[in-house]
Amino acid sequence: MVRVFGSLIAASAVLGLLAGCSAEPSGVGSAVPSASAAPPVAPSSEDGVARPAAAAPPAAVPDVPRRSAAIEDQPVAAPAPTRLEVPSLGIDVVVRPVGLDGNGDMDLIDDPAVAAWYRWGPAPADPAGSVVIAAHVDSLEYDVLPFARLRDAAPGTEVVVTDAAGTRRTYEVRGLEVVEKGAVDWDAAFDRSGESRLTLVTCGGEFDYDRRTYLSNLVVTAATTG
Amino acid sequence: MQKIFAAGIGVGALVALGAVAPANAAEDTAMLSVLHGVPGLTVDVYVNDELTLDDFEPGDLAGPLELAPGTYTVAITAADAADASEPAIGPVDLPLEAGMDYTAAAHLDADGNPTATLFTNDTSDIAAGEGRLTVRHIAAAPAVDVLAGGDPVIEGLANPDEATLDLPAGTVSASVAAAGTTDPVLGPADVDVAEGTLTIAYAWGSLDDDTLALAVQTVSGMHSSPDGVPAGQAGLVATNAPERQLGMWVGVGALVLAAIAAAAVATRRTVTSKSER
Repeated sequence: MVRVFGSLIAASAVLGLLAGCSAEPSGVGSAVPSASAAPPVAPSSEDGVARPAAAAPPAAVPDVPRRSAAIEDQPVAAPAPTRLEVPSLGIDVVVRPVGLDGNGDMDLIDDPAVAAWYRWGPAPADPAGSVVIAAHVDSLEYDVLPFARLRDAAPGTEVVVTDAAGTRRTYEVRGLEVVEKGAVDWDAAFDRSGESRLTLVTCGGEFDYDRRTYLSNLVVTAATTG
Repeated sequence: MQKIFAAGIGVGALVALGAVAPANAAEDTAMLSVLHGVPGLTVDVYVNDELTLDDFEPGDLAGPLELAPGTYTVAITAADAADASEPAIGPVDLPLEAGMDYTAAAHLDADGNPTATLFTNDTSDIAAGEGRLTVRHIAAAPAVDVLAGGDPVIEGLANPDEATLDLPAGTVSASVAAAGTTDPVLGPADVDVAEGTLTIAYAWGSLDDDTLALAVQTVSGMHSSPDGVPAGQAGLVATNAPERQLGMWVGVGALVLAAIAAAAVATRRTVTSKSER
């Protein structure tokens, strides 16, 4: 039983990447087994309990992860992103952390030179999940804003994010979608599992001049390249 | 209703956006962590008679193990024991159900005797912007109050009980005092109640032996997403903006343009609706 702990844990880790994916095979999905393919762990049984431990050769003790639970040994949060650049589109903005506004939406920053990072989600240095940075596409006060140029983000466009520790990470645009607001899969955009990646969000599509809101969100996804 | 603008990006986008499974336990398995809360005693932990944790140190947390549901027999022995036949704690049977997340703690009871308790961790969804704090009393000490910023938030917590509350994510200055008092026997200490995460604080050790300490475990994956990202207000780059035909404006009051645009649309809609009648 003990030997399968590790493989089960590994299988469950990659399962997080798979569940909810479309059926398209991909680099993320093709190489990993599903958890059900892993051998099941036998629960306590007459067999298992009765087997004399001494009869087996000295079994390797499984490699169960452990750490100090002492409060002073808790992991420190990863540094926040502080700057976002898309050189080919002329975007170079300061990034500041935000949470939620009063309506349960992601908060945004009015200053046109500042984009917002969803502080409750992953940071660039975190090992997994989607780093979400969003900014207004325009404003009544400031005209058309830098994120408006994201609509020209072709696949392969380089995006650079710098964090508070000074580390620069390069991403490459993989996809751009304009999705009607009611249909955006926010659980996917704000996903905290799966490979580390970047999601840029602004508004786009048609505008409702009565309600003063765009009808769609423009969502750019980018993968890490270094 | 998705419009994919760039060609050849569909697969990548779907894959990148597709991982939506929670990070916590799969539906058909149980997650088990083990906390060692008995001061001064390095132990071995046997699960179903198999040595699973060798030389397990006080204050350490092991796991989580992902296990098939069922009942597991756990025995805790001195670190130099040859097998599980003479446990210092247990053997205890741990009934683990599918889809649940547990922590088994070896600890002292209120009178200072070694024991073990199986706790069930609350992994229900947490509202966006909030974190969940569970406090467990597993120390050789009388009932306590838990103070946040000096004010009691949990009162009369006795070994081996627990209390849970959801609160805005952030750092809580937590301390533990004898029930009905505010003079800390433990802390104050900064506990990070992370968003979308269960943070479990254990008061363990012995009051009489002056070994009280705080241990922390976290279980993540219960977060909720924001409802949306309202990222525009003027319609200046809208695909239906009439003034887009004018091209880029430079140094012209956007407010004026927006007002003109709004008026233009309003006029057009009025005309349309009239003609429809």
